[in-house]
Amino acid sequence: MKKQYAFLVDSERCIGCFTCAMACRNYYHQEEGVVWRQVYPLSEEIYPHRERAFLSLACNHCEDPACLNVCPVNAYTKREEDGVVVHHQEKCIGCGNCIRSCPYGAPKYNPVEKRAEKCSFCHERLDAGLKPACVQSCPTKALQLVDLAEMQQTNQVQYPAGYPKMEKLNPSTRFILPKTPKMVRR
Amino acid sequence: MQSMEFPLVLFTVLSQAAIGLTLMRAVRTTSGGEEAAGRTEWLLIAGLMVAGLLGSLFHLGHPLSAPMALTHLGTAWLSREVLFAGLFMGVAALAVVAGNVAGKPALAWLGTALGLGVILSAGMTYAPPALPALNNALPAAFFLTSAVLLGAGFGSWFADEGLRPLMVRIFTGAVVVGLVLYLVAPCVWLSGGEVMRMTGQAWLASGFYWAHLGVLAVALAVAWKTRDIPAWLPVLVLIGELVGRAGFFADTVHTAANMGGLY
Ligand code: SF4
Ligand code: SF4
Repeated sequence: MKKQYAFLVDSERCIGCFTCAMACRNYYHQEEGVVWRQVYPLSEEIYPHRERAFLSLACNHCEDPACLNVCPVNAYTKREEDGVVVHHQEKCIGCGNCIRSCPYGAPKYNPVEKRAEKCSFCHERLDAGLKPACVQSCPTKALQLVDLAEMQQTNQVQYPAGYPKMEKLNPSTRFILPKTPKMVRR
Repeated sequence: MQSMEFPLVLFTVLSQAAIGLTLMRAVRTTSGGEEAAGRTEWLLIAGLMVAGLLGSLFHLGHPLSAPMALTHLGTAWLSREVLFAGLFMGVAALAVVAGNVAGKPALAWLGTALGLGVILSAGMTYAPPALPALNNALPAAFFLTSAVLLGAGFGSWFADEGLRPLMVRIFTGAVVVGLVLYLVAPCVWLSGGEVMRMTGQAWLASGFYWAHLGVLAVALAVAWKTRDIPAWLPVLVLIGELVGRAGFFADTVHTAANMGGLY
């Protein structure tokens, strides 16, 4: 398998503190209302202990990205060297097609630039040997950068409940599910 | 609810009216009908298409870069839609400018073929995986129905006496198909996955949806009772299609709206 960078979201470790989402904002200073990384609480139907079950999501850097396929102006590229899906904002004409098409809601409309934008895995930081801002900031190491080609763990899943299952796109994000807390009786 | 995407409503419905008119023109000229009014009809076709294309520009953050939208023909259905729409526009403009070719059935059939290309690519563009209720052939079916309905309606303005009944039959058939499609789709969605179910509920609770169905019902009643298409009816149907299309964009639920919930 070719190198494919991915986010590994360990929901057992995630405490829902939003530090990853804030780190992304601090780093890129997106316009008001434009969010590249979001922390979603899991509904109680999926996990009854809401206060501690979250999915931290940004772009999934899919193997066959819907955004890339539908963009009429080729504003998306998938990097050969690490599979990162980069949005080139200078090419974008703001048609919104990628926003409509990505099942994960990753591309967002920037009302000031009048163009789309999304997480590009901090690829400038990757190129400088650094971790993405969100990964760097996570206080519990719940968010990690992994290479799917080398990942050995066997306890991760690709499609946890609460996350759209889109096999054709083959999103790269992997998840470690939260454990059910033990009840301690007195 | 998402945005009702007014520019896209204008573009899709007006271009479908133009394509439908071209199809009906081709059908009539092949059925041995009139050719005299050809240029006026092509003028309406070209006018509708120009209005739709201009409207669509308001949808872009950067309208001046619109020609760039042709650069990803390899996978982007939107690029293909723009290409087909441009070629269709070219045929319509040719028919208007060179008046002597306007009556040629070949031109109407060429326009129809390109127009069907527009409808198919628009159907694919608005059927992304992120909209499970529409990630299928429904958008193309909706668009084709609108084209035939509006084409037969406005086509009746141009049809010879002898061919009017044909237009009425096609119009009535398209209304029935439209009613069935729009009534059945949301009901089927109610038994689908979570986001599809949410879409079914949103459509059934939407004023756009019921106003559109109401117009279709009126069109059916009038065409059935009078065995004709009164001159005002296509205009009412056009308004109905615009309203219905606004609902198509506004009330269809995106998978991202349910992140963290059951799918
Ligand atoms: S998650 Fe969405 S934006 Fe990211 S690569 Fe996949 S389709 Fe594109
Ligand atoms: S909004 Fe920009 S990036 Fe997205 S599909 Fe349109 S042109 Fe491409």
